[in-house]
Amino acid sequence: MAAGGSTETLRKREKEKDVRESNILAAKAVADAVRTSLGPRGMDKMIQADDGEVIITNDGATILSKMKCMHPAAKMMQSLSKSQDIEAGDGTTSVVVLAGALLRSTQQLLSKGIHPTTIAEAFLEASQEAERILESVSRPVRLDDREALIQAATTSLSSKVVSGDSQVLAPIAVDATLRVIDPSADSNVDIDENIRVVQQVGGTIEDTELVNGLVFRKKGAAVSGAPTRVENAKIGLIQFCLSAPKTDIENNVVVSEYAAMDRILREERKYILKLCKKIKDSGCNVLLIQKSILRDAVNDLSLHFLAKMKIMVITDVERNDIEFISRTAGCTPVAHVDSFTADKLGSASLVEEVSLGSGRVVKVTGCEAKASTVTVLVRGSNKLVLGEAERSLHDAFCVIRCLVKKKFLIVGGAAPEAELALQLGKFAKTLPGQKQFCVKAYADALEVIPYTLAENAGLNPIEIITELRRQHAEGITTSGINVRQGKISDLAEENVYQPLLVTISAISLASEVTRMLLKTDDLVGVQ
Amino acid sequence: MADPNSVLSAESMIDKGENSRMSSFVGAIAISDLVKSTLGPKGMDKILQSMSNPDSMNITNDGATILSSIHIDNPAAKVLVDMSRSQDDEVGDGTTSVVVLAGELLREAEQLIHQRVHPMTICDGWRLAVAAARKALEDSAVDHGSDLEAFRGDLLNIARTTLSSKLLNKDKDRFANLAVDAVLRLGGSTDLNLIQVIKVPGGSLEQSFLDEGFLADLKIGVGQPKRLENAKIMVANTPMDTDKVKIYGSRVKVDSMDAVAEIEEAEKQKMKAKVDKILKSGCNVFINRQLVYDWPASLFAEAGVMCIEHADFDGVERLSTVTGAELTSTFENPEAIQLGHADLIEETMIGEKRFIKFSGVQSGKACTVVLRGASTHVLDEAERSLHDALAVLSQTVKESRVTLGGGCAEMLMAKAVDEITPTISGKKALAVEAFAKALRTLPATIADNGGYDSADLVSQLRVAHHDGQSTMGLNMTEGTIGDVRELGIFESFKAKEHVLLAAAEASEALLRVDSTIRAAPRQRQGY
Repeated sequence: MAAGGSTETLRKREKEKDVRESNILAAKAVADAVRTSLGPRGMDKMIQADDGEVIITNDGATILSKMKCMHPAAKMMQSLSKSQDIEAGDGTTSVVVLAGALLRSTQQLLSKGIHPTTIAEAFLEASQEAERILESVSRPVRLDDREALIQAATTSLSSKVVSGDSQVLAPIAVDATLRVIDPSADSNVDIDENIRVVQQVGGTIEDTELVNGLVFRKKGAAVSGAPTRVENAKIGLIQFCLSAPKTDIENNVVVSEYAAMDRILREERKYILKLCKKIKDSGCNVLLIQKSILRDAVNDLSLHFLAKMKIMVITDVERNDIEFISRTAGCTPVAHVDSFTADKLGSASLVEEVSLGSGRVVKVTGCEAKASTVTVLVRGSNKLVLGEAERSLHDAFCVIRCLVKKKFLIVGGAAPEAELALQLGKFAKTLPGQKQFCVKAYADALEVIPYTLAENAGLNPIEIITELRRQHAEGITTSGINVRQGKISDLAEENVYQPLLVTISAISLASEVTRMLLKTDDLVGVQ
Repeated sequence: MADPNSVLSAESMIDKGENSRMSSFVGAIAISDLVKSTLGPKGMDKILQSMSNPDSMNITNDGATILSSIHIDNPAAKVLVDMSRSQDDEVGDGTTSVVVLAGELLREAEQLIHQRVHPMTICDGWRLAVAAARKALEDSAVDHGSDLEAFRGDLLNIARTTLSSKLLNKDKDRFANLAVDAVLRLGGSTDLNLIQVIKVPGGSLEQSFLDEGFLADLKIGVGQPKRLENAKIMVANTPMDTDKVKIYGSRVKVDSMDAVAEIEEAEKQKMKAKVDKILKSGCNVFINRQLVYDWPASLFAEAGVMCIEHADFDGVERLSTVTGAELTSTFENPEAIQLGHADLIEETMIGEKRFIKFSGVQSGKACTVVLRGASTHVLDEAERSLHDALAVLSQTVKESRVTLGGGCAEMLMAKAVDEITPTISGKKALAVEAFAKALRTLPATIADNGGYDSADLVSQLRVAHHDGQSTMGLNMTEGTIGDVRELGIFESFKAKEHVLLAAAEASEALLRVDSTIRAAPRQRQGY
């Protein structure tokens, strides 16, 4: 025991080669799991979470983030797709499929006895060359070219469940994004800060609309007599509560006789009435109330009073949304009733409660404030569709954001990958020694994208690939797979464009992960 | 059960002589083999998979990080881990080298013991060897401390050398400049706290940059100025919800609702009084470690004061050092509070995240390094690498001598040790010879990791050094030997010296051990 026990220094240690092998296998398994969802004819996945909730999606980032992976290499693939989501927002499936293909090619290179660092370096060189090639085949785009932007958004949406409604969603995505930026000055868009997406079950995706203002989902029962439509609205935003007073220090109200109970009720009524009157006095006719966890933000009594005073009330406003609302409506949040004055109110030309399907929403439109914010109201027949529509819309926003960041477009439909495979193959021949071999393998691995795209579209991948190679070799750099017609055609004529940033970031991120896995030689268990 | 001849209690164990030494050797060599493959510019990475938390994993190449996180059950291995940690604390770099050298020394010692050389004789020989090696190292060291231009060049080279063995290799020029700039700003101080590193996912490593001043991942309250010049900053840690009576069960008893309302109002007034006191200090920026509730926040907004809530502990400490503000928690004497200063505070956007930027702060030494990278793994590793570079640079600013890297210094030392061998009579000479051999394994390991023929390269180096070309080392990009002074591969003298001394010391300590006693585990009571 003594000698035997202490010689076992580490609890777990695996051999170098096995580690690399198992990493590559795990990462490939993840890539294979999502590869069928690539492209416009890609399949969706149904995911059942721990709590029984079901999601149907085609978005690589979503699928991977819901997968329960144990293997560290598999987790790296998950974070790979997440990084692509952060960087470009689209191409989250492609990046994983690409990484899988690159890893497959490294397996062969390793078995030929090439040292992992040599492969890693060659891949780095190849990915840098790939960026240069991509830039040379891209075309610049101007942000005021609305048509081109819509095209790019449509390409991204075409692979989603909601592709049928891309003629509705694509313009919304473009208009929403362009509204929140200054096209000439900005080089980035803060999507989360400036665009709100509100889901409402009922209707179809076609009913999705862009609202220049705010949309609130209305909860709870209506109070009789409360206004449902207010023109020339004066909007107040309060952070205090319209309910019986409550102190931070614990308090007991001692009731010693029956009459006292009556008196207390009366006082409460008076207290609330006083608050409501002050609000009314300021001229406010639409009141937004922040949610409170310490006490009731409103009670029946105050709702009743406000209804009588013809003030429309929207409750349960989240604290996180306050900034957005105050920027949009031009109002200042008020935390004490004494500071609730007319100058703190925002204004809108119309606040209207609309009944949509099973629920109701309140729309605030025509805000005077010049804030660059928008809200998108997404409609759909059920929650699953809504969720997917929102995710697809997010991808479309990101596509536009990519174009704001890097104002170049490139054709879609696997044309860039086919072109890269060709050009990198040529580039490989200029390199000496083992590098040439590795870069050639890299170039070949890129063909996984056209291959998978064709396979998912039910076409014969071999025929497609060979035809694609032929056309690119003839110098038609924009020829790609036209999935809708099931053939190869010049996609520049079809107007299938996507942002350059998506492709570049997919290639460089996938190469980076491959390099990282190659350079890993051990898996050590730690605390 | 207990052996009547045993002095120790039943559960404790004792290993003697051969057994004990064997287990030390095995443990130490296992540890050294574990990190060996991470050495040098083409070293491999390791995945550290946490056993207790399957979601957390790390990919690293940093010896100290790997060693400090693994499970170890061997006393000798623990000695090496501690040694690596102290190397990290003292000089920040060379954490892998020191372990590998110690491991190699013990490997040689094992052989010598098989040849019936007494451990004490080995120790004596090693001491002679260390003295010779140290002298050779000192003679080869160059000091440019007085010449600023040349010194900066030295620093850049050191940073590049350190970074080349890490993930940042690809962008090492950029990061070397970044690290040198940051360290030179410190002006000789080794307080790395003044250099703040912020990790923002997204983008790529080449988009990382150095920013003067201080960036905080915080938000400015609603309705408050987003940009302030000549800011007078108060940094506080105080509850800004209510000042509660902290006696358990304290409560007020009242008999009417009005009284409750009055108390609520009184509570608010108390808060207002606190805010007034804070304002009296003349500050126009208020930063609190705790939350600032809506009511005080709106009071600050009315007074035109920027208020930042929920700065974490680290943030508050840094802010107070950087801006020169005193951390305050009572406001009875507002005039006496020492306020911090910044020329400009504004919101800035990095990637998709907003930050608050403090520029022109009182402590001009402070700066922020913003790291961008594809995933959190990349960012974490980049931070570790950068930290190593910063640590070693800040030490070099203090001790400005530099020496050559790329295995050159080791070969130099090995040669010096070899030279004294013929002058030593007796078995000690064997130990001295072994020491030189162990030193030569370092360049051999570096070459092995790059996939090159180490035996060939090291013998070439030996010949070169024998011929008096004392600046020859490994050229890892070409896989040949070359003049490292021309290649610009420099290392800090202090780090090198520390590696030599610490490794020799630790292996000598382990060699002198002739029995291991394991104390009986403490009895658990109460089962």
